[in-house]
Amino acid sequence: MARADYGPDPTPLAAVELSVSYGERPAVDRLSFTVRPGEIYGLLGSNGAGKSSTIKSVVGLVRPSHGRVSVFGLDAVADSLRTKERLGYVPETSMLYEALTPREFLEFVASVRRLDGPTASERAKSYAAAFRLESEIEEPIASLSNGTRQKVLIIAALLHQPPLLVLDEPLNSLDPRSVRIMKELLARYVAGSGRGVLFSTHTMEVAEQLCHRVGILDRGVLRAEGTLEALRLRAAAGDASLEEVFLRLTREDEGLDSAVRALEGA
Amino acid sequence: MGWREAWRISGVALTELSLQAIYAFRQGNLPPAGPPRLLAARARRRVIQSKVLVAGVLGLVAAGASLLLGISARIVATPFFGVLVSPAVFETGVLTGLLAIEVAFLWWTGLQVIPTLLASGVLPVLEPLPIDDRTLARVAGLLYLRLFDLPAAMVLVATPLFVAATLGAPAGVAIVPGVIAAVGFALALALVTGRFFVRRVQGSRGGGGRTFVRWTYLVLWVLPAFAMFGFVVAAPGFLALVARTVGTGPSLSGDLLVSAFPIPFAVLPAIVTDGPRAFGLDTVGAGVLSAAVAGYLALAVWSIVWLMASVRRLGVAPAMAPAPAPVARFALAPRGPARAVLTKDLRVASRMPGYAFLVIFPILEAVAIGLFTFLTGPGSTATFGLALAAVSTAALLATFFGPAFFAIEVIAYSYGRTLPLSDRSVLLGKVALVAAIYLVASGIVLGLTLVRVFAPGVFLAFALAELPAVLAASLLELGILFRRARTKGLPIVNLYSGGWYAVLVAVPGLVTAGLPLVAFRLVAGSPETAVFVMGLVALGELALAAPFALGVRPGRTA
Repeated sequence: MARADYGPDPTPLAAVELSVSYGERPAVDRLSFTVRPGEIYGLLGSNGAGKSSTIKSVVGLVRPSHGRVSVFGLDAVADSLRTKERLGYVPETSMLYEALTPREFLEFVASVRRLDGPTASERAKSYAAAFRLESEIEEPIASLSNGTRQKVLIIAALLHQPPLLVLDEPLNSLDPRSVRIMKELLARYVAGSGRGVLFSTHTMEVAEQLCHRVGILDRGVLRAEGTLEALRLRAAAGDASLEEVFLRLTREDEGLDSAVRALEGA
Repeated sequence: MGWREAWRISGVALTELSLQAIYAFRQGNLPPAGPPRLLAARARRRVIQSKVLVAGVLGLVAAGASLLLGISARIVATPFFGVLVSPAVFETGVLTGLLAIEVAFLWWTGLQVIPTLLASGVLPVLEPLPIDDRTLARVAGLLYLRLFDLPAAMVLVATPLFVAATLGAPAGVAIVPGVIAAVGFALALALVTGRFFVRRVQGSRGGGGRTFVRWTYLVLWVLPAFAMFGFVVAAPGFLALVARTVGTGPSLSGDLLVSAFPIPFAVLPAIVTDGPRAFGLDTVGAGVLSAAVAGYLALAVWSIVWLMASVRRLGVAPAMAPAPAPVARFALAPRGPARAVLTKDLRVASRMPGYAFLVIFPILEAVAIGLFTFLTGPGSTATFGLALAAVSTAALLATFFGPAFFAIEVIAYSYGRTLPLSDRSVLLGKVALVAAIYLVASGIVLGLTLVRVFAPGVFLAFALAELPAVLAASLLELGILFRRARTKGLPIVNLYSGGWYAVLVAVPGLVTAGLPLVAFRLVAGSPETAVFVMGLVALGELALAAPFALGVRPGRTA
């Protein structure tokens, strides 16, 4: 997809006053953030902070209870098909047709995305080689390890070279080599391209290395947002690591020592 | 830990299995709206409802057999293939059919459930816990038996009661060994073949000619299950065979006949009802019968003991051991979205016996009836009627495909919703698959029939006139299901988790597919006129169903 076709607005992703709730239980509360062109934006948070719910509302799996999400200026709810054409998604859990092989699954995704055969084959081959997936390409997905399934999902997300990548904890099951490849790939993917990446993780080290800006989610609310430097300033944390900044901003450092001491006696 | 603890733990495992089967969380599906604490109760309730449905079908089959036994005096006056059958032979035939259907239906149900059991991971979760080996084996065995509790209880209780109601209490008691054997064999067969399918069919590599090999496996394994319907077609011939064999007095072929499962168990109530001489067995024959009954019964009991010990081993060991093999070169061949859905569904079905059965069954049915019409005499009016009935059956069966192929979507439902795939594309892909199966089945039966009854114009026009009704029925069913999926967020999973939806949504489908067939029957005059009216009715239905299904919120994903 040419840059001019991304959409009416160059901003890859904008969430405005976004709220998500499951029945009576609110998961995300009036969250606003933007992924800028050429940016990898990290959503950080503890388990249950609302990262996955935010991502699911972006990709159309969950309907927001309030607010809106726009992808390159297109409304994610009202214009869902055109939005989905512009994004590639790697889910947190391996949601795949387990009865298919990776090749069959990629072929299905390439068909739905209306790619031509040579382009789809060339890209699939390159990514499969990079992730060392060639020997499993004709095995049923049901027989593959979690890490290998994750690779299949990553390739499926990249197959149409989308202008917006939405990655929910994408490095969780990957081996170190694949993690390194993903980091390099994502950095190059967005550089000077107008593309954007929304990346959720609770691994601070990864976010520190990869993300241009991060948003810190805590119980569905955005506590802080900015570059690592800006967050350090806000948390008055000197040259502390992102982990320390995160713990301080979410106040999860309170009672940390006593929790560890309690474990010693357990 | 004893049986009581094993029973309690198996209940917990059953709840987890129900959750996995109903909500498919492992496939990334989101929890439905409502308090989370109610989910487990709702899942168990839905599983029980589906078991009631399966048990109900088995009860109806037993009641139908009982009804047939009740009117045996009138039926035996009719010659089957020119042979008059005695009441004892007729009773044996009906009870053989009943036991065969019970085995086949329980077995087929098991094939639907076992991939879910093996994929759910409920048994491996228990392994690291401090539970002794014997209790773990009991938990696994009890969990497996609890999957079949209501259907098995229906077979074990209802069959003797229905037989007793018609043939008397002694006959009811005499069928008890038969139903025990039927249940034992069906559950053991389901475990063995279910595991086989998971290893060899679901675990089969892609590419090359392996899809063909998988379909061949599936046809081979579906053949016995096909017996439950095939028996209805073959029943007159079978009765004639038994009558001829028995009529010639004691013989080796007679002895062989009473040694083949489930015939010996069907002979027992007939002998109890009509006396020991009614079946014409001599001392050797009686010995063979006794040995067969005792042997099969012992084998059935051993089957239950074996499966109680084996479920844990099979459920814990990885069903599919990955065997990576380099692929020299691979290429993707993308198609349009609708064709991609069709191809994906066929590929999924080729690795999942439950879905494969739905593709294979109408085709096997067409082959069976087609062969039957081929064997009957040339110019026979019955042949003409039978061929049209076969096509009608294929059309009516097609109404069950919509819900079944929709169920495939649940496998990666959440991921599918993130793709730019419209409802329309999914729907058209599935409708095209249903139409293709109908056309293949019709083509086979008509091809075989045309050899004997050369009326290509009428046959072809009949099959084509019904096609719009098949399309309309599928569109209607899928349109309803997509609406439900959008509002409730939960599609049908399989027979044991959402059978009611499949049944309910099939009702309007059956009416839609059936109306043109009724029109054909009602219209007086030449077959050409009747086919013309039939085609008009079918086209009218399609004109109504298509806007409903395809025009509903176009461009939205399911």
